[in-house]
Order: sequence, then C-alpha cells, then structure tokens
Amino acid sequence: MTTALSHYLESIRANLRIDPSEEREVLTELETHIEDRLQELKEAGLSEEEATETCLGLLGSAKLIARQIYEAHSQGSWRQAILASMPHLLFATLFALNWWHHIGWLSFMLTLILAMTIYGWRRGKPTWIFPWLGYSLLPVAVVGLLLPYLPWGWSLLAIPFYFLLASWWLFCIVIQTAKRDWLLSSLMLLPTPIIVGWFLTLAPNGRFTQDALQRVAYFAPWIGLSFLILALTIAAFIRLRQRWLRIALLAISGLSTLIMVAYYAGGRLSLPTLIGLVLVLWGLFLVPPLLERWLRRSGKLKCQEQIGGGL
Amino acid sequence: MAQRRELIKGSADSLLLCLLGQQPMYGYQIIKELERRSQGYFKFKEGTLYPALHRLEKAGLVTGKWQMLSNGRPRRYYHITAKGRAKLAMERSEWQDFLRAMNLIFQPASH
Repeated sequence: MTTALSHYLESIRANLRIDPSEEREVLTELETHIEDRLQELKEAGLSEEEATETCLGLLGSAKLIARQIYEAHSQGSWRQAILASMPHLLFATLFALNWWHHIGWLSFMLTLILAMTIYGWRRGKPTWIFPWLGYSLLPVAVVGLLLPYLPWGWSLLAIPFYFLLASWWLFCIVIQTAKRDWLLSSLMLLPTPIIVGWFLTLAPNGRFTQDALQRVAYFAPWIGLSFLILALTIAAFIRLRQRWLRIALLAISGLSTLIMVAYYAGGRLSLPTLIGLVLVLWGLFLVPPLLERWLRRSGKLKCQEQIGGGL
Repeated sequence: MAQRRELIKGSADSLLLCLLGQQPMYGYQIIKELERRSQGYFKFKEGTLYPALHRLEKAGLVTGKWQMLSNGRPRRYYHITAKGRAKLAMERSEWQDFLRAMNLIFQPASH
C-alpha cells in the first residue's frame, strides 16, 4: 500500500475514537475495499500512483468518514446509559437518604466501584466504565485528606511523596483513557471540580471537624442533587451520537452544576475559589485533547507502520 | 447534480436494504452493483457507504459476517435481517405510492 493510502487510513483511525475491537474491524473492511479498488484500477491500465490518486478521490474525506462511523457506533444502549450513570446515582442516594455516615454503605459502594472498574477494564474498557473509573480514584483522594492527621514530622514527609505518586497515577490513567478518546477523560474527571467545590464548602480548612460533619448533614440534599444532575448528564452523554453535542453537554452541565454548588453554598465558596474551580473544569476540556494530540504525534510513525504492514 | 446527491442521500438506506434483500454482499460489491443496476446514476462517495452500512447494522436491519477468502483476505458480508425485510417492505410500498403520485402530477393533462 502506498504512503498516501497509509496516511489516509491513519487519518481515519486517529479520528474514529471507537472501541478498539470495532476499530480494527472498520479498518480491515476499508483496507479490503481499497485493495479491491486498486486492483481494478491497475487492471484498467492505471499506474500505481494514478490508481492511488483515483482511489482516494473515490473514497472521499477521511475525517468525514471517521465522523460518520463514530456517529454510527457511539450511541450506547439504555442499559449502558444506566450502567454509566450508576455510580453518580449511588452517591446521589447516599446523600439524599443521609446514609453517608454509615461505614457499611460506604464500604459496600467502594467495593462495588472497584469491582465494576476491574470488570469493565477486563472487558475491553467499554464507555460505561469511565465514570466508575473516575470514582475509583476517590480512595486516593481520601488517603490525601488523611495525611494532615499524621504526626507533624510524618505529615510533612508524606505529603510531597503522596502528591508525586497520586499525580503520576492520575497522569497514567488519563493517558490510558486519552489513547482511546480524550472526551472519555473529561467524562471520567467531570465530578472532580464539583466534589472539590462541596469539600471546600464543608471543610474550608481541609479537616473534617464536628462542624464540618454537621454541615454535610445540612447540605446533603443539595450534594445529592448535584450527583443526580451528573447521573442524568452521563446517561444523556451515552445516548447522544454527535460528538460536538457530547462536548457541549459535559461543558454546560459541569458549569451549571458548579454554579449550583456555589449558589447553595451560600457564601461559603468565595468568588476566587469558584473561578479556580471553573478553570479546573475548563482544564478538563483542554488538557486531555492536548494529551491526545501529543500521544498521536509521538506514536504516529508506529501506527502508520502497523497499518501499512497489515496489507 | 446537488439535487441528485440529496436524493441519493435520502434514499441510501432503502437502496442498501433493497440490494441486500436479494443476496448478502460486501461493501465493494454493493458499490459496483448499485452503479451497474442504476446504469451509473447512483454513485456513492465510496467511503461513506460504510457509515451507512454500520448505521443499518446498529439499527438491527442488517448484520455483518466476516468470511475468509481462499487468498487469506477477510471480507465482511452484510445480510439483511427479518427486521430489515419488514422495513424494506414498508419503504418499498411508500416509494411506490410516492412514484405513482409523482407520475400523476408530471404526466401531461389528458383534458
């Protein structure tokens, strides 16, 4: 296969962003089509170069094909929509029913989150796994919150190590997700600014004192409501086909939920903090695509070789 | 030309179901068959055929099955499903009504 056709297939692959198993099938199907067409054109007397040029013209825009195939494959079933929104719904229930202080429920949810994440990861990372994957980072955050309670010297020693280790782990997970589709990284991390917003409202000094726990009880219905909005957002995301609609949905929902948090926090969340959280939200839509672009550039040659070599 | 493109775009699913209703086919074969049977009228941008086929497959109207050829190359044949046949029957009936009505309007008045 000529370099131009390899570039063409690579361009389709880079813009497909569907399940890896489906991606392989789509590319194999297109490769077979190209081979058939090239053979026919050469039999008609065209040179390799002329045949390639004609073939590319007949196929049409690589980006358009990739976008249309993405739209054909992207819509998840209702079952997948429910599965994906389940972790948010569980947290919404936890706060709406004021069960957040029951260790039994918290342990059950944590176990369920980890089990679902491992199950989904082993089943080829379907789209519904990513909200679960986001929540599986919670234990890491909780460990970070417990560090200030260590004896003074230990705490100073542990915090930099924890920060480096947690950042590295988060980076690895985001990289793995962005390899599939940067939008899934945004989906996975969408609750972060909202959870941080509530945390800063409840425990502005970073410690869960008796007062902070009382505030959790007071704000529980609104915390539950924000998780419910997240659940509905994720369900709608799974059911939507168009990529730009999915991006708009996450951005609008994330921003409006943050504003809702600030509203119900009733002055406990200062304007600079809110602006900071909006910037974090903005970062969720900016950093993953940049990472994806970087990954694509660094792995570009390898992908082209794989496609060219497969024919 | 633009009008023809729009017509083809609007009737692509019916055309594909109709062809696959006669026999299972793979993508390239569909392109050739459409062109041959329409005497060159229906010319798809070849790459856009696959999104249409995948859309039909996701809707449960056709199903794709891989077959390994004697030369070791895999090919994906598309088969129409029972749901696809029902949809095809409905669309065929709608087309016939539409064409009949169009002919009634287009034919010169007899009085």
